[in-house]
Amino acid sequence: MAYVAVKGGEAAIQESIEGLRYERLKKKEILEINSIQAGLRGLIDQIMSESSLYSEELASIAIKQTEGNAEEAVLLLRAYRSTLPRKHYSRLVKTEDMQVERRISAGFKDIPGGQLLGSAYDYTHRLMDFSLVEETKAEAMKWLEAYENRINEGSSPIEALPKVVDYLRKEGLLREYPEDSREPKDITTKSMAFPTERSERLQALTRGMSSAVTALGYAAIRGYSQLHPTVGELRIGSLPLYIPNPLSLQEASAEEDFYIGEIKATEVESLIPIVKESQGGKKEIIFEIGYGICFGQNETKAIAMSILDQCLERPSKEFPTHDEEFVLLHIDGVEASGFISHLKLPHYVTFQSELDRVRRSRRGGNENEDSL
Amino acid sequence: MNRRRRTEILIKGSIELARGLVQSLEGKYEYRVTEAPNNGLVMIKQRETAKNSSFYLGEVLVTEAKVEIKGVLGLGIVAGNNEELAYLLAIIDAAYNAKLPETEKWEEGLLAEAAKIEAELMKRQGKLMLTKVNFETMQL
Repeated sequence: MAYVAVKGGEAAIQESIEGLRYERLKKKEILEINSIQAGLRGLIDQIMSESSLYSEELASIAIKQTEGNAEEAVLLLRAYRSTLPRKHYSRLVKTEDMQVERRISAGFKDIPGGQLLGSAYDYTHRLMDFSLVEETKAEAMKWLEAYENRINEGSSPIEALPKVVDYLRKEGLLREYPEDSREPKDITTKSMAFPTERSERLQALTRGMSSAVTALGYAAIRGYSQLHPTVGELRIGSLPLYIPNPLSLQEASAEEDFYIGEIKATEVESLIPIVKESQGGKKEIIFEIGYGICFGQNETKAIAMSILDQCLERPSKEFPTHDEEFVLLHIDGVEASGFISHLKLPHYVTFQSELDRVRRSRRGGNENEDSL
Repeated sequence: MNRRRRTEILIKGSIELARGLVQSLEGKYEYRVTEAPNNGLVMIKQRETAKNSSFYLGEVLVTEAKVEIKGVLGLGIVAGNNEELAYLLAIIDAAYNAKLPETEKWEEGLLAEAAKIEAELMKRQGKLMLTKVNFETMQL
């Protein structure tokens, strides 16, 4: 099969692009970047996570440019990211250092430091709030002031927040792994090859489409897996980022690191009971952790990721959720939406040849008959 | 004060602090900008707790600048798009690297800003503590 070059669409394409701009502007309202950044936290977090690029400002511009179309915004950011130089790698980030804003456990009621609900939709009535139609800036300012005054009165320092799973570690109920200090692989510089390494799987999962990761995680617990996870801990907060001094000629010490800022992330440690055969053939149950983490406050995605992490640690052809090629190659937003949407591009030649075959067979001719 | 703590205060605190420190050098030294503020990425290396291994979480946008004072190089780098702060941080870093005498007087301002950051953190923690669940077991 050969490709055939055709031309003639330039003017139509130019008008189509103008028309798109018209669609964005025709209601004569300009969406300010600041308003997007201030008010669309959920969408910004989702888009930063799926594009694997942390910048609320860039995500807001992409949202404005694409009229809130998430798949287009992610594509724009992934493309923009590829034009920027990667200047440094951070020091290893540990979630024990997280400045926690929310931290709950579904497995334990009484956890050291307590269940801290933070801010979440979980406890709201899912009823439409029509008063938002009439919300004014003056009212909002008044509410903010009152809220901040009330908070300032009741300030008390937070207690230490150890990891909930450390409970089980101390009891010997959690399978221990020695520190794996291998350098991670990077799927943005080298495509995944199967079987993958753990670092590649986690990187692919954390930047997967939120809805796809959620759907497959759901499938796994609905019966397309044999895992029964419990959320040991879900924590949300800011992670500080440091880079080693790049100007230092010797091995740079941590004290001479540069602090560069922080990112918000959601981390989930799911507990999954595993039957383990000990020496002497005795069977006992032990817990393993399913690990999920993503940029921003994306709780459902992080939980689903923790389930899929455990699924993929146990490769099996019995369930698609345990098949790393099935999961990892189909959850990427740019690849999935790119491939699906390429179907609307001209396929004139391939489709015409298919049509020819159908016509021939209808006429009762031989499919391979060249003369028709 | 080591660089780790200094840069944390300068980035978490008000940009006015960085402006003030650079102001105190005004007219005394020549700066040579070897890298004008520009955008780039830092890849985040993350530790995971299930198998105790590491992986790449994703990249963060940064602004970076390099400035030389008396032949000594300084680096300014900050997450996000913030050319002014990256430039100021580079001058401040060069000033410390060149051991300029003015830097000895900067500690006080940095510590005062650190106290403000700490107070702000306490407020945020207070807000979080209000959402702590107080379980009461019902007697049946």
